[in-house]
Amino acid sequence: MHTALPALIFLFPFLSAILMPIVGRVNRRLCQPVTVLALGGMGMVSLLALIHLLQRGPIRYPFGGWAPPLGIEWVLDGLSSILTLLLSFIGMVVAVYAGPTVHKKLPTKVTPFYTLVLFLMSGLTGMVLAGDFFNLFVFLEVASLSGYALVAVGEDRALLAAFRYLILGTIGASFYLLGVGYLYAATGTLNMADLSQYLSQVPYSKTVLLGLAFIAVGLSIKMALFPLHGWLPDAYAYAPDAVSTLMAPLVTKVPLYALIRIAFWVLGVEALRDRFPLMVFLGWMGASATIAGTILAFMQPDFKRMLAYFSVSEIGLIMVGISVVNPTALTGAILHIINHAFMMACLFSVAGAAIHRHGIGKVFELSQLRGKMPWTLTAFTIAFLSMIGIPPTGGFFSKWHIILGAIEARHYLFASVIVGSSLLTALYFFRVIQKTFFDGNAKLDPPPLSWWRMEAPPAMLFGMGIFALGILLLGIFNAPIISILMAVALPRNL
Amino acid sequence: MSEWIGHAHFWTFIFLLLFGLYVMITHKNLIKKLIGMYLVQTSIILFFLSLGAKKGATVPILFLSEAPVRPDSYANPLPHVLMLTAIVVGVSTLGVSLGLVILIYRRYKTLEEDEILRKE
Repeated sequence: MHTALPALIFLFPFLSAILMPIVGRVNRRLCQPVTVLALGGMGMVSLLALIHLLQRGPIRYPFGGWAPPLGIEWVLDGLSSILTLLLSFIGMVVAVYAGPTVHKKLPTKVTPFYTLVLFLMSGLTGMVLAGDFFNLFVFLEVASLSGYALVAVGEDRALLAAFRYLILGTIGASFYLLGVGYLYAATGTLNMADLSQYLSQVPYSKTVLLGLAFIAVGLSIKMALFPLHGWLPDAYAYAPDAVSTLMAPLVTKVPLYALIRIAFWVLGVEALRDRFPLMVFLGWMGASATIAGTILAFMQPDFKRMLAYFSVSEIGLIMVGISVVNPTALTGAILHIINHAFMMACLFSVAGAAIHRHGIGKVFELSQLRGKMPWTLTAFTIAFLSMIGIPPTGGFFSKWHIILGAIEARHYLFASVIVGSSLLTALYFFRVIQKTFFDGNAKLDPPPLSWWRMEAPPAMLFGMGIFALGILLLGIFNAPIISILMAVALPRNL
Repeated sequence: MSEWIGHAHFWTFIFLLLFGLYVMITHKNLIKKLIGMYLVQTSIILFFLSLGAKKGATVPILFLSEAPVRPDSYANPLPHVLMLTAIVVGVSTLGVSLGLVILIYRRYKTLEEDEILRKE
């Protein structure tokens, strides 16, 4: 029974996505609860799997009973079970949060919306669990196709943004597939564990190097690593609020996870240190992304667009953590994937609530919310403190580990880039705070009689409350979380 | 020289890939961009299929026989199977993208990218 856990995790979102049109036909109001339940069930099974594998080690599930190098296998180890837990939790809370905004903005498209959300979640889950290069490609495309459709539902320029996302995303996926083809031509296998064994025994040929380069570029487009981030700001800014809240925390993280999986599990640590300068290059890309993303974010008057550029910056930060190749920095990077998911979910849900209630979408108009949406502004402040990296929020500890790792590896420049971008973020954010809370000259509407009528609807408040609480809890309980990560999520012999 | 001609499929693949990218970058028309995208996908399918081909090999259907199997005499079926899946993925991508193009045309009444940007 327990060997089937990986497939079971996937079946929750996938089967409910297939059943969703029927559910919607019976009663459209059932769509949201069913989505929440499906993702909740997926979370429960992921938790079970995590507990199980803490005791007995990774679970490998061969599909159709065909043994691995020939058949397709799914691998549920420490890292992938943490990722599925994260996916299901964020997905579930966003599904609760989405209720009011979907009801208001997309009243006729409730059923397709939740169907696509579940397909997106199943695609991402498949990517996390795949132990096979080609299988990863298929789920990459399942997730991306649902993503394109979800972005296209939005207003204004959403259609054009979705079209650009589609063109660039398809090029990224094609490059990935081409890289897989090169690896297959060189080794004759697609299974990750098998390929890893093969690569550890032979010197890297030009074919292998070219294949790895294509894979790295393809995944970099999918994860919006600067300067390949062109699709991201438009897509997140014009997507419906519920969609950007769901996509910003998850869609770019999973290709990043795939890169970690390929780099540390397939190539192996020795190859990254001695044989192949891929990580050095990606580290420089990451460092430039950190700075460029932060600076570009400051130039955006639009709140969601600013958050999108911050997302680009944070991807760069995580990439720096990966590229250093030591346990401290990799732990920091994995922790930052989790933290960043919570921060982005929280910030985008704040943006969505401000637009939903008051139609406010600009950064410096947030002062209009003063006295009207106190809880929303509290969540906003907590999330931004975490973006800067101020204890006790989660963002501090992951940034701290990445910086520490960079210093251990004598990459002082990387460390200073991260500190610099945090300082820039802090400067900018304190200006926003000053404008929002303390600017006496701001023209405020007459004070509302009762703030709870102006505050976000309960479902939205619940969502952003959970995310803000999550940020604080991730910070307060950082020690046990980091020790679990260190124990199960790191590759051997790092 | 014969080596160059022997790799004709590979040169075709490179040409199709680069031509597809070129079309996507240079053309303003959204449909032409999609044609370029489809060329890129098709070129990769050609690349994979050419990996499975062998000289003098036949279709990989194994009849029950006592004689030992000689892998050299059968084409490699795995790339074909992979590309069946990739074709399905490509078709669904094309479906979604054409749906998007229809919506864009309904809203802007044009498919030229610069005209769309001017209408914003």
